[in-house]
Amino acid sequence: MSRKSERLVNLVIALLATKRYLTKSEIFRTIEGYEGSSESMERMFERDKDELRALGIEIEVSALDPLFDDEIGYRIRFENYALDHDGFSANEIAYMSLAAQVWKEEALGDIAQNAMRKLAGVAHRMDISEIPAIAPVIINAPRFLNEIIDNISKRTSIEFTYLDSEMRTHSRRVNVYSYFSFKGNWYFSGLDVAKLEIRTFRCDRVVGDVSTPKNSDRYEIPENYVTDMQSKESDDHKVAQLSVRKGRGSQLRNLSSKIELGEEFDTIEFAYVAEGELVSLILWHLDDVEVIGPVSLRDSVKNSLQSVVNAHG
Amino acid sequence: MHMVKKIADNQVARLLDLVPYLTLNQGVALEKIANDFSTSKSAVLDDLNTLWMCGLPGYTPLELIDLSFDTGYVSIRNAEVLSAPRKLNNAETAALIIGLSILRESVSPSTNHIALIDELARKLATKSQVVAPETISGGVAPELRNIIHSAVINGESVRITYHSFSRDEVNSRVILPLRIFHEGSNEQIHAYCESSQDFRVFRLDRISEAVTQGRTDLSPSTNAAAVSDQELKIRVHSNLRKIFETFNVKGRSDLKPGDEFVSSAFTSEWAVRTICSLLGTAEVLEPLNIRELVLSRAQKALNQYQ
Repeated sequence: MSRKSERLVNLVIALLATKRYLTKSEIFRTIEGYEGSSESMERMFERDKDELRALGIEIEVSALDPLFDDEIGYRIRFENYALDHDGFSANEIAYMSLAAQVWKEEALGDIAQNAMRKLAGVAHRMDISEIPAIAPVIINAPRFLNEIIDNISKRTSIEFTYLDSEMRTHSRRVNVYSYFSFKGNWYFSGLDVAKLEIRTFRCDRVVGDVSTPKNSDRYEIPENYVTDMQSKESDDHKVAQLSVRKGRGSQLRNLSSKIELGEEFDTIEFAYVAEGELVSLILWHLDDVEVIGPVSLRDSVKNSLQSVVNAHG
Repeated sequence: MHMVKKIADNQVARLLDLVPYLTLNQGVALEKIANDFSTSKSAVLDDLNTLWMCGLPGYTPLELIDLSFDTGYVSIRNAEVLSAPRKLNNAETAALIIGLSILRESVSPSTNHIALIDELARKLATKSQVVAPETISGGVAPELRNIIHSAVINGESVRITYHSFSRDEVNSRVILPLRIFHEGSNEQIHAYCESSQDFRVFRLDRISEAVTQGRTDLSPSTNAAAVSDQELKIRVHSNLRKIFETFNVKGRSDLKPGDEFVSSAFTSEWAVRTICSLLGTAEVLEPLNIRELVLSRAQKALNQYQ
């Protein structure tokens, strides 16, 4: 049994039940648990308000009327406290319950659990039996996902330490515009404030946590903004032409837009943007693949093979 | 990597959520409350004893919340002020919206669940300022996962068309899926493979087709996954992050150019191809036969360009 929890619940009840603002002296006089000197009651009340606000409870403060020496008053409006009137159907509660269970012990697990407690008071849950009780892999979410989403909602920048391709750390400040999960990894995109360029970051390359700088200005998300991931279809592409041994190179064949069958080798073609990734993929296939064109790709592959030979010779 | 950030369970929050729950579930058993609130029975009793002292100013029996729970079943009266469930905050809404997106990925598109889930996610997003993720794509088709999932439950075998990555071959084989598990960001199946008469691990995203073969009498006797690991000693030169991620190096975030580390490889074929795809930025030191294989295979590929 906790005296403090008791006092806080009593404070919520009183501020919710009242039709008008309650002044501090009314609160101290009528609500059980406020004891001691007026200074200690003041301190107690300040802490209590902070604690309730941290739980997401909005306490409204009356405006001071300069003509009258009125005391400030407090109340909690029902519409700010309670879940929307129309609420959710039993069916919807069931979906949300499944959605919360997806998190289990993962990044947002505790938060999802809290949501379930609230929803347990809305309606009896209906069981949806035909939904497979199997959550896909994407639970690989970072522990700071919650902060990223919160900062997008508030339009405030985040700061974090990021690993570059040589594992050196750099601190970054980003106005985040969107987040997504792709093939098991989580990413966020937005404006890199120092570089003034749109960048996409992979969450597992962030070292430690993300934080919100104190002097963070609110930003706008440009209306015509498109996440990097979607801009793959850019015009800035070249066409690779490769000769691939029969029965080999499935990954490359899957990319191809055109296949010309040959005797021992087939010729395939596809469009690409990032040469670096493609060179790695081609080298993976060793002598089952030969680059026909373009010349720049052929040279890169040739030079990279020479580097492997040099490193191991 | 999966660190769970524990949020201190706040008693006040729990009490405020307990009242609407009890109002809706009059006569609920203490055990069920403990279960629904993921807490212990004694914690629930402590909560009820605290709530018992709460009410409207005045605090006479007329104003106090009226609880009865000495029989082990709980009923509540005189708690109208707190009987409405609290609003979801942004973080909770986000957890649900993402959970719904994940759910949407795992149900078959032919059902009416998709439309209902989309509608609900929209409703949640409108009620808050929380943005939904741009996309959630696991790279595995829901139908495929459903086929494998029901095969695991029903003990059925499945004919799969599989792309064997390390050998770079597509083949067809019959497997008995035993369980689906997650390794890093990949969904995998632990299965008994009839073709090779042994246990094997298959990545779901490399299966292009799966056809159920019906129940099978095949009952594998042991449960050991047959994957032979081989140790590799590797020196890094540059491009460290990619090497780090390719070999899933743990606890070596201080890796510098010139450093060495030891990693395991499933097969030597995998090791040779992986090292080559790193374009000379990583060098195999041991075992020597793999180092020599890298050299000869890369030289052979290079000869095509001379």
